[in-house]
Amino acid sequence: MNLSSILVTIISRIDGERKIYAGFHLLRGKRSGQTLQDVEYYGLKEFFGILPKLSIERFDEAVKQLVDAGFISTMDDSFVRLTEKGRDIVTEIPSFRFNGWDYRGGETIFFGRLSLMVQTVSHFKAGEKSFMPVQKDRDIQYFVKSLLHNRPIGDPAFAGEIGKELRLCITRSGINDKQKIIITHRLSGFGLTGWTWDQLGDNLKLNPFDVRLLFIEALHMLLAVITKSSDLPLLRKIAESVKVSTYLTDSSVKTKQLFNQGLSLEDIVAARNLKTSTIEDHFVEMSINDSDFPLTDFVSDGDIEAVIEKVKEMGTRRLRLLKSEFEALSYFQLRLILGARTGVVN
Amino acid sequence: MEIHGILKGKFGFDQFRTGQEAVIRDVIAGKDTLAILPTGSGKSLCYQLPAYVLEGTVLIISPLVALMEDQVAIMKKNGEKRVVALNSFLSYSDKNRILGELDRYKFIFISPEMLLQQNVALRLRSINLSLFVVDEAHCISQWGFDFRPDYLRIGELFEGLARPGILALTATADDKVKNDICRYLRLQAPAVHQQSLDRPAISYSIIKVDNGMMKTEWITNRISSTPGPGIIYVASRKRADELSSLLQEEGISVASYHAGKEQEDRAFIQEQFITGEIGWICATNAFGMGIHKNNIRQVIHEHIPHAISSYIQEVGRAGRDGEQSQATMLYSDDDEGRTRFIVQDDIPQEDEIRNYESLLAANIPPDEAADLARISETGRRIIDYYTERMSMEDVISRMKELLREKEMQLQKILRLIRSETCIREEILGFFGEESVEKPKYCCSACGTAEVHWHIGQQPITFDKRMMDWEERLNGLLG
Repeated sequence: MNLSSILVTIISRIDGERKIYAGFHLLRGKRSGQTLQDVEYYGLKEFFGILPKLSIERFDEAVKQLVDAGFISTMDDSFVRLTEKGRDIVTEIPSFRFNGWDYRGGETIFFGRLSLMVQTVSHFKAGEKSFMPVQKDRDIQYFVKSLLHNRPIGDPAFAGEIGKELRLCITRSGINDKQKIIITHRLSGFGLTGWTWDQLGDNLKLNPFDVRLLFIEALHMLLAVITKSSDLPLLRKIAESVKVSTYLTDSSVKTKQLFNQGLSLEDIVAARNLKTSTIEDHFVEMSINDSDFPLTDFVSDGDIEAVIEKVKEMGTRRLRLLKSEFEALSYFQLRLILGARTGVVN
Repeated sequence: MEIHGILKGKFGFDQFRTGQEAVIRDVIAGKDTLAILPTGSGKSLCYQLPAYVLEGTVLIISPLVALMEDQVAIMKKNGEKRVVALNSFLSYSDKNRILGELDRYKFIFISPEMLLQQNVALRLRSINLSLFVVDEAHCISQWGFDFRPDYLRIGELFEGLARPGILALTATADDKVKNDICRYLRLQAPAVHQQSLDRPAISYSIIKVDNGMMKTEWITNRISSTPGPGIIYVASRKRADELSSLLQEEGISVASYHAGKEQEDRAFIQEQFITGEIGWICATNAFGMGIHKNNIRQVIHEHIPHAISSYIQEVGRAGRDGEQSQATMLYSDDDEGRTRFIVQDDIPQEDEIRNYESLLAANIPPDEAADLARISETGRRIIDYYTERMSMEDVISRMKELLREKEMQLQKILRLIRSETCIREEILGFFGEESVEKPKYCCSACGTAEVHWHIGQQPITFDKRMMDWEERLNGLLG
């Protein structure tokens, strides 16, 4: 796996309809309306924000590699397109198992906690109560400290439990052999210091940057197992709240906060000095993403059921067709119903 | 209690190390004290012991958060629980909690920025402080290589206060830095204790080579045939990475270290070096502070350091165990210009300062203005400090003065390189020490450096082994 293979996969999905830097914003997880809409529309959720610190130089380098190899071409209007050769290569790339959309960098918090817990327990087990924590982040230190509070950290059996959960989790996750080595060698313990990206790269004959990509994917796969498994109690605790709690754009979050404070849509338009249509978009976004969105504040139960019936009957979600069936309802109301009840608006 | 009794009872030592007792007696007597003690000579005892004689809390101002955390961890490990670190790493609620119970602590470590916060300073005044300690006090001097403008304000804080004694601690200080410390901290009739900086176990070599390639060759040969552990100081991050890869290809156990690496990787490298999992570090000057490793055998510089004081600090990391060690400096003719460029680049130039001030006047936020004017982080802190106190013209002439001083420092190290007299004598003379007893292995100028003290000792080769994942997990957690 490398950046180019990820990028050519992304390009195969936005083929001819987006510019190359849409890929850059996607990988860095830019929370703008355009990027978020693309993520949804082109089915790119897995790659969203997997490289929050990606530099433009490295991105350009990957683009150049793809152009030089003849896999992609940029059209006159600067939209990027897959070539025939590119189409062939994409079919050969094994599918990725990232879950950028749900974690957005949270996976590194998970690993930071895990790493500090393992380092602590490993040292205590060996009777060494003093060591230099590899994790300097305060939040991570506090989290682990409170997690380990009142637990038998010096007891080899406790270390054994963590080891057992990790072994189970790694085995179930389906991560490959290199990923298993990377994950376990990024952990530190008594007499066994973690390995740097360079050291891992040298030993695995990989580019250190690609080692990091494998690491991120592996964490997403481990987290997928942890959320599903009830027999991994410690890992579940460590994974607590690393998944994103809101999928809304920053601007929608602000609108939501005002709405929760009791302001009406009109109040919010005035308070934020934005267009009514913009705030309406925020509400639609909320209706899609918040399962507890108070839809009945905006439209009656009867109307909701009638619209949903009609959608099923007509087999369409096209707003214009629905609007002609429900003259009394506004486009905004229809979008809210579709958003809250079907999760899709178009 | 009598101080020897405390030394034994609290610290488990039978006797003081050279220099400690005199400092401790002055501190207990309440005198302002400046103690210049070489690294590894037990500086911290100079305030830890008096703390058990004096009534109240000892406040220790320390420039590096990592260093502070390190010291707190060590004290806790040794059984002193009434110790706390106040720095910007603390969460808001923890900071408030600690501030609310300050009088419970015997030792409070604090960063200068924290000390300058109004509410913190106020709280500190409400408790009974028995001693102020300024650690790494050379940071107060703008002539030093470690200048921290925040340190300059510490003195202002002490002013007009009925205050306890101040103990200023540092490992290296020439006369100029000594004067700065006394002046800016407003020490009153200070007792000055200075121990010889000489490190008889270290022999010095200065070697001229033709070019950069020759340096690489020299280092490769050297490391493949002589023992480590060791540090190679280089001029840039890029070079650190490059040289490290080259050496690795030769099978040498080495890693590069600089501020451009991720925090976790830096922690790994440091730890691997300390535990002996790797033998050599290729580093910029970012590496070294807070590294507790006694058996470093060699320090190699492949560039000309900026000043003798920073050189001596870096070299001083070798041979803390008292065993024979070697410091080598490699240079070639074009190094002078390169070092000068790096040194000057650090200090804001006249047009940059003017540009910065006019951007600020146009209400551009300081961060952005500094960026646009191409002023470094340190440069900005220096300018900000001085502009609060003097006109822009004065700031500019101050910076010019600073530039001249840096050039003088560079000239001194160039003199050291070109001189044919004993390197040890030159270095110690720089710090005002006159009589020097030359050890058996002294320096390349004396012709007694390249003795083969290392014969029969093995170089360190790469033996870090990648494990199977289950083996690794077993090793970590059993």
